[in-house]
Amino acid sequence: MKTNEKGSKPKNEKASKPEEIIRVEELSKSFGEHQVLRKIDFSVKKGDVICILGSSGSGKSTLLRCINQLETQTYGKIYFEGKELGKTQKEINRYRSRVGMVFQSFNLFNNMTVLKNCMAGTRKVLHLSKEEAHDRAIAHLKSVGMAPFINAYPAQLSGGQKQRVAIARGLCMNPDVLLFDEPTSALDPEMVGEVLNVMKSLAKTGLTMLIVTHEMGFAHDVSSRVLFMDKGYIVEDAPPEKFFTNPDSGRVKEFLSRYIQKDKENGDE
Amino acid sequence: MENTPTNMFEWIWLIATQYSQLFIEGTIITLIISFAGTITGFIVGFIVGIVEDSKITPSDPLPQKILTRCFKIIFKIYIEVFRDTPMIVQAMIVYFGIRQIGIQIDPISAGILVTMLNTGAYMAETVRGGIKSIDIGQREGALAMGMSPIGAMIHIVLPQAFKNIIPEMANMFLTNLKMTSVLNVIGVKELFLQAKTAGGTYYKYFESYLVIAAIYFVLCFLFNRIFLLIEKKMAGKKDYVLAVEYMENNE
Repeated sequence: MKTNEKGSKPKNEKASKPEEIIRVEELSKSFGEHQVLRKIDFSVKKGDVICILGSSGSGKSTLLRCINQLETQTYGKIYFEGKELGKTQKEINRYRSRVGMVFQSFNLFNNMTVLKNCMAGTRKVLHLSKEEAHDRAIAHLKSVGMAPFINAYPAQLSGGQKQRVAIARGLCMNPDVLLFDEPTSALDPEMVGEVLNVMKSLAKTGLTMLIVTHEMGFAHDVSSRVLFMDKGYIVEDAPPEKFFTNPDSGRVKEFLSRYIQKDKENGDE
Repeated sequence: MENTPTNMFEWIWLIATQYSQLFIEGTIITLIISFAGTITGFIVGFIVGIVEDSKITPSDPLPQKILTRCFKIIFKIYIEVFRDTPMIVQAMIVYFGIRQIGIQIDPISAGILVTMLNTGAYMAETVRGGIKSIDIGQREGALAMGMSPIGAMIHIVLPQAFKNIIPEMANMFLTNLKMTSVLNVIGVKELFLQAKTAGGTYYKYFESYLVIAAIYFVLCFLFNRIFLLIEKKMAGKKDYVLAVEYMENNE
């Protein structure tokens, strides 16, 4: 395991393609008796915007949390830039600093202002100078339209504002990949748009993004690939055009038809 | 004595003035022990509480696992022993125990030590509760950006937990201020022992204890107000200043 880390080539030939950034192999995760992920295989290329869809309890969030190592997989491997993830805390920390995460419940640091939230990672993890961290924070806060609120505490912001700050905080680390765990699920309907807009413009910058979401329209418009999860398996992995019009899996068809029906009902009102 | 007091109030006045030196000395010693014992006790409590709360993960190196496990067991015993015995007994055992093994500890140091250990045992549980009260997402947010578990604890979780347990810390200090009175059994010249001495001369114990009751009351009352003020200050401002320089014109 140790010998793998320095210099040696990954065993899989395909993994050495430069553009592949994350590869997941046979990833399984159980919580006690309950198996949440069953031998998940997929890879992420640089610049991919992958939306992960599926009903609640299908393992989407757990998959994302495993990729960030907030959960340790029971079985299987994760490769980052062709190398298997290290097991020591130091290696995990370094990896996490390059793979950011945006949470459903924002998880902004309540004891810090918006500005300090965005400087925490760059100061404490990347050890940038104060000026550099400050400038970076301001730049990213400007890009999500939250720069005027640098002095506010999280408790003083709306959900949509909090999530925009959380995205800026993630961007400040200049991550190679940004993971989104249902970023709009905890928001009031009228705030969903502002967050999705920020994410849309992010996708255009070429940032690699993995997004667990229930926003079908967003997934359709923005993603380069759509994954559909069901009972711990990936049952469909297709480009959005194919996914939404002609999916292979019956489970996806069922899911989409229910979604379209709901949409119609909403439209009738 | 020219004019012997004729009623209780005159006796109180006589004792309070004649032995003012004793009472002042007693007050100072009481305050020193409460402050020193409480502050060091908080430090002990924080360390014990954090270790108690820490989890042993499979990826930890083996020596770290063993060490953590040992500390957890030791701290568990420590907390149980000090919570389940009276402080007056602890004082006797610590003071005479240390002298027994040949270390000439003075009563005040022994008093501070006992107060510290006692406070630590109670604070450990409070700190653990304080840490538990902070949403797990705070820690995860920090970990997810690459902060070490210790860094997340120091920069994110503890500052928030600390704020939550300030009322409990204030409470502990006030309790300690009053509990120092039991240290008279090991000969610490704190307020209670001084009152005993002062009362002994004229055999006016009731009046003498009334004097220190008043002193204890005033001290606790004052500190209580001070802590409430600090708490209010720590709650922070309700509003914030918009950074106008970053406002866009079209907003």
